[in-house]
Amino acid sequence: MQDGIVLTKVDELLSWGRKNSLWPMTFGLACCAIEMMATGASKYDLERFGCGAFMATPRRADLMIVAGTVTLKMATRVKILWEQMPEPKYVISMGSCANKGGPYWQHGYHVLKGVDEVVPVDVYVPGCPPRPEALIEGLMVLQKKIANERILHEKWVRNV
Amino acid sequence: MKEYCMRSGLEMYNDLISSINSAVTNANASLISPGEEEVGDSSVLVNPESIFEVMSFLKPLYNGLQVISGVDYTEYIEVCYFLAHFDPENPKDVMIKTRLKDRQDPRLNSISSLYLAANWQERECYDMLGVSFNNHPDHRRILCPDDWEGFPLRRDYKVQEVYRGMKVNPENKMNRDDQLFEDNKQKGNEADLIAWALSKGL
Repeated sequence: MQDGIVLTKVDELLSWGRKNSLWPMTFGLACCAIEMMATGASKYDLERFGCGAFMATPRRADLMIVAGTVTLKMATRVKILWEQMPEPKYVISMGSCANKGGPYWQHGYHVLKGVDEVVPVDVYVPGCPPRPEALIEGLMVLQKKIANERILHEKWVRNV
Repeated sequence: MKEYCMRSGLEMYNDLISSINSAVTNANASLISPGEEEVGDSSVLVNPESIFEVMSFLKPLYNGLQVISGVDYTEYIEVCYFLAHFDPENPKDVMIKTRLKDRQDPRLNSISSLYLAANWQERECYDMLGVSFNNHPDHRRILCPDDWEGFPLRRDYKVQEVYRGMKVNPENKMNRDDQLFEDNKQKGNEADLIAWALSKGL
């Protein structure tokens, strides 16, 4: 085993590395953030999936977990933060509010009806708020998506 | 404590109102007692022009401002000041109300020079109901963004359609089932209604 040789594709190796070292941004908007913190804490331990290093700046993060109600006032900031993140970047929309406005879907004058109005969303996690298990499943779905990406075939990598 | 409970009736309010009226001319203080229109505690209604003078008079008696809240009753906008006295020997509180008839430009004198807590409370009242406060040190919105249109707690508030390029109520995300249900109900199409409900699994 110590002297073994592993044969794999560069693409798959890169994807494997990326999917197991997602760095989310420290970014909670409402009560879903409490569940996100619980997911990051010792009991559910997001670090098992390589996703526990919550970065305090968007420039070092590649995953944005939009945890909570996105008000219209915050939506402009969410867009700016998303634009500051380096590619390739992913967005998990956590909870009903971020998915579609949640309880504010009809009469919430100040709430954005889903964060996908301003940023592209990869995984939607339903729940109000979702349990940590649900967020972990959302993360694993995202990891599967990343594992299937062929990043060297992307235009912006191929032309470098 | 017992003494306070005994005094907290009509007698205390009448004492307070007569002392306000004798100290402040034009205050026109009167009692609002719970009845058909209002429930809960009694409160004191004063003239909006003399709210600062009334509050200056009450400041030594009540050392805390708890809340400034506003209600839109369509004929007038009511602003309520909840004052409290945090003294273990003699705790007391009172609600001072004032009614603004002018809906276009409701104005009050700021009391933030008396109670520092009034600063943010008045800003919230301005943000939600559009009541302007004269001589306020920092008169701007507190919760809504600065470029927001309208005052959300007004009865005639219309939600703006677009805010900074974002649609507030996008068509494709609105639930039309409730409206369909109501339409069918008014038409009396009971058979259609049942078929529709069954198709939705309701």
